[in-house]
Amino acid sequence: MAPAVSTTIAPEPDVEWRGEGVSMNEVLGALSNIRKKFALAEVGETELPHPRNCIMTLIAVASTDAEERRAQRAVRAIGNHHPAQVIVVRDQPELRSRRIDATIMTDTLRPQLGGAMQCELITLRVRGAAGEHLSGLVDPLLMSGVPNYLWWVGTPTFGKRELDDVLKICDALFVDSARFDAPYRSFLELTTLVSQSHQSLGVGDLQWARLEPWRESVAQFFAPADRLPFLKGISEIGVDYSGEGRGNRVAAALLIGWMASALGWTLQKSAGGAGGTVVAHFAAEGWRPVQVAMRSVPRTHLAQGEIGAIRIGGAAAGRTFNLSVLRDPERARSVRPDVGAGGYRPIHPTGGEDEAGLEIAQRKVEWHRDVLLENSEQLHHTATGDLPGDNRPQPPAVFVRDRRRQDSSRVLLTLIEIGEAGTLRHVQQVEPEDEATLLLEILSHGAQDKVFVRSLTAAAELMSAI
Amino acid sequence: MGGRAQVTAVASTPVATNPLAEGLHDYRVGEPCLMVIFGATGDLSGRKLLPALYNLAKQRLLPAGFAVVGAAIDDMTDDSFRKHASEKIAEFSRTQPIDQRVLDAFLSACFYVKVDFGKLDDFKGLQRRLSELDTTRHVSGNRMFYCATPPPTYETIVEQLKAAGMATGAGFHRIVVEKPFGSDLKSARELTAILQRVFHEDSVYRIDHYLGKETVQNIMAFRFANSIFEPVWNTNLIDSVQITVAEEIGVEGRGTYYDKAGALRDIVQNHALQLVALVAMEPPLAFEANSVRDEKVKVLRAIKPITDEEVARATVRGQYTKGWVQGEQVPGYRDEKNVAPGSLTETFAALRLNIDNWRWANVPFYIRAGKRMPKRITEIRIQFKRPPHMTFGPDATRELDPNAITLRIQPEEGISLRFGAKVPSAGLRIRSVTMDFQYMTAFLVETPEAYERLLLDCMIGDPTLFTRADEVEAAWRLIDPIEAAWRDDRPPLAMYAAGTWGPPAADKLVQQDRREWHRP
Repeated sequence: MAPAVSTTIAPEPDVEWRGEGVSMNEVLGALSNIRKKFALAEVGETELPHPRNCIMTLIAVASTDAEERRAQRAVRAIGNHHPAQVIVVRDQPELRSRRIDATIMTDTLRPQLGGAMQCELITLRVRGAAGEHLSGLVDPLLMSGVPNYLWWVGTPTFGKRELDDVLKICDALFVDSARFDAPYRSFLELTTLVSQSHQSLGVGDLQWARLEPWRESVAQFFAPADRLPFLKGISEIGVDYSGEGRGNRVAAALLIGWMASALGWTLQKSAGGAGGTVVAHFAAEGWRPVQVAMRSVPRTHLAQGEIGAIRIGGAAAGRTFNLSVLRDPERARSVRPDVGAGGYRPIHPTGGEDEAGLEIAQRKVEWHRDVLLENSEQLHHTATGDLPGDNRPQPPAVFVRDRRRQDSSRVLLTLIEIGEAGTLRHVQQVEPEDEATLLLEILSHGAQDKVFVRSLTAAAELMSAI
Repeated sequence: MGGRAQVTAVASTPVATNPLAEGLHDYRVGEPCLMVIFGATGDLSGRKLLPALYNLAKQRLLPAGFAVVGAAIDDMTDDSFRKHASEKIAEFSRTQPIDQRVLDAFLSACFYVKVDFGKLDDFKGLQRRLSELDTTRHVSGNRMFYCATPPPTYETIVEQLKAAGMATGAGFHRIVVEKPFGSDLKSARELTAILQRVFHEDSVYRIDHYLGKETVQNIMAFRFANSIFEPVWNTNLIDSVQITVAEEIGVEGRGTYYDKAGALRDIVQNHALQLVALVAMEPPLAFEANSVRDEKVKVLRAIKPITDEEVARATVRGQYTKGWVQGEQVPGYRDEKNVAPGSLTETFAALRLNIDNWRWANVPFYIRAGKRMPKRITEIRIQFKRPPHMTFGPDATRELDPNAITLRIQPEEGISLRFGAKVPSAGLRIRSVTMDFQYMTAFLVETPEAYERLLLDCMIGDPTLFTRADEVEAAWRLIDPIEAAWRDDRPPLAMYAAGTWGPPAADKLVQQDRREWHRP
């Protein structure tokens, strides 16, 4: 999302405050002084003081140094464009000494038009038991009349009073299910929280925001009136996600959950296969079967669990259709040696050097590779003489921290095949997926998202069944 | 409405039946189509249309298969048109820097066909190209013809489209025309008749880019999505309404057109009267094309035409002379390029209108529009009546203005409410204060360009923000008598120095009603 305010940021040297071993009253007093200074700054004799302008309070809870750094980076990026009060709580309950260290920093926003505005960044480093009473810490800082959002930077403490209490004073909780330490368990806990929380609490997932371009591309394909019947002709879906072995299937499950819940499919059965592949069978209207496959594919430039491709095929109204949406296809070609050192071209002619042709060839090669992988046990036995299943290499470990990398590609390539007509390719750009951008995306549209909730529920059902 | 021109029921916006579209933010994607831009090498196309399309592509709002086909007299190939488009987008796009991958993808869907509007064979060639693209791009025959050309060419283009068989067949066929929609009631009717000879009224999209501005659309949201304003939005509490459409620029190379049009036709007939309609309309049944446009037409028809006898008292026409604008000395209008030396064209127009209906009886609507004013600003000020009894007495309320709501359309888009508050002190003094809402800070999104919104609406088939034939005609019915009197030099042309808020006569227009212009 583009920035909303054209600004020049001028730090005010006199509006920064630090306190060690302070009480919340001292923090509030310092904050009040800072606001007073700002209100009177640059006011001529005949002018009125600057009105404070604040659109939200964003509370970020971090439990490690790395999370605190990420939180600071993201909230300052947001604050650079939107006047807000931001509270970063570094929760260190494991430390015995009970004390609060606090800093307050402000960024002054000067729009090209209009008066100056201020973003306040309050950082509380809380040691000892006080951190377990988050709501008591942040409540005095909250401002009346603006929404309060809670961003739990790591894995929320689901089921604990600390989280339940603070949610009572917040309008929405934001998490990133891609970063959960134990993706499967935490995802189901998130689903439970959503189903049990009060109705006015919004829940946003940065992972869900990352799926928006995928959802758009799929929805766009079915948008024309003459393609709407295709929705009732979908017979198979394949979703590739980044990873090896089982990996983090949350995003893939969310994407499938979204389609299943939108199109009224009911889960019939699912089964895990070799190499992290999972096949699920759904029943669509009239008991029409829909087969869904999720598989992990090593994609070096994508974070674990991130979607790499979705393929939808079927037939309706006498026409077959195939939709493929691929993430960063140029990057994919750069790792072409992985699938045969370029030797696939004679086997799968591309029809020229056209990128779409290359993509189709790539897909065919991947399909061949999948066949090989599916039969790997027998091949292993044939090659080594070992019994099937013996001495196979260990699946690679799944890293759960610092998985996201700076991505400079961000392209979705859509390939459309309808009937006998040629392949239509369509390239679209994906917005940056840093945390600040994703948070802004959720904030700008509100956290009350019933489609997310129903997709989450359907995804949890699928995850439980696997 | 003359000839076979008739306003027909506009089809409602198709209800989204794609269940996968539910919950997608900002998801408004039309069916894939081929957009033919007549005059694709011209100024409008380069400054507005191509950059708007690029930005739609950037927001992933162009469907797979969508393509632009430039059609103009210039000798160009697909590649040279792409180069031209690339340069214009780089220069005029609202989002910078240019995203090369988005641009490359967009340009790969741009094509060019040389078309001499007078040659049917050229249109047949264009049709062949469109048919080829139709197959390869899965667009199902959908066409959008954009006339980015001077109005006199509309008739030729429309007739050629018909003769080449390009306005019928599978898919939708929509035509977009730019203002001015005629130069008076007669010519507007003729234009409507020309368009409707080939296209159904539902398929005619008349662009008034003001209607695509977020803040203009917000007028309806402000009025009809809130319960606290509508009860006071009438003659019982509103004293008057002031609409200001001011530009700091001069004619900027448009002298030939402007010298024939003037401020009344260029701004008041369309932008300003549309703002009047949006402020004064009754709540529509739904935010849907027919409902909204029906209510706007009712307002335009309820405005009391200014009679020949009233025109001298109720209107002001002015022309700027040399002066200083924003620190720079600028020439007078008659010294501008392509302006006749003794031109009597008005660069400033001010009117007092009355709406003859229950809601607005005795509430004057003051409109002023002009060039070379101190700054660029468009705003609507709703001035409320003073309380019936001043409890606090004249001394305490000396600094208190009447309540006012200001809807700022551009720039600094927002809304402010002016009301009285006690000045902190031992005594009792009440002073006016302002409660301000600024669009750019209250929402975490950037305001899109009006053309982006309108092009997207046209692709989707939503004509709510486009002007219907009967709206255009109702507006001309009000303007024609004023224009006729002005041609007779009634009232005489009043001169004003560039960089001022118009001639003194404009002040007198409101002062005779014991009011003042609000200084924006």
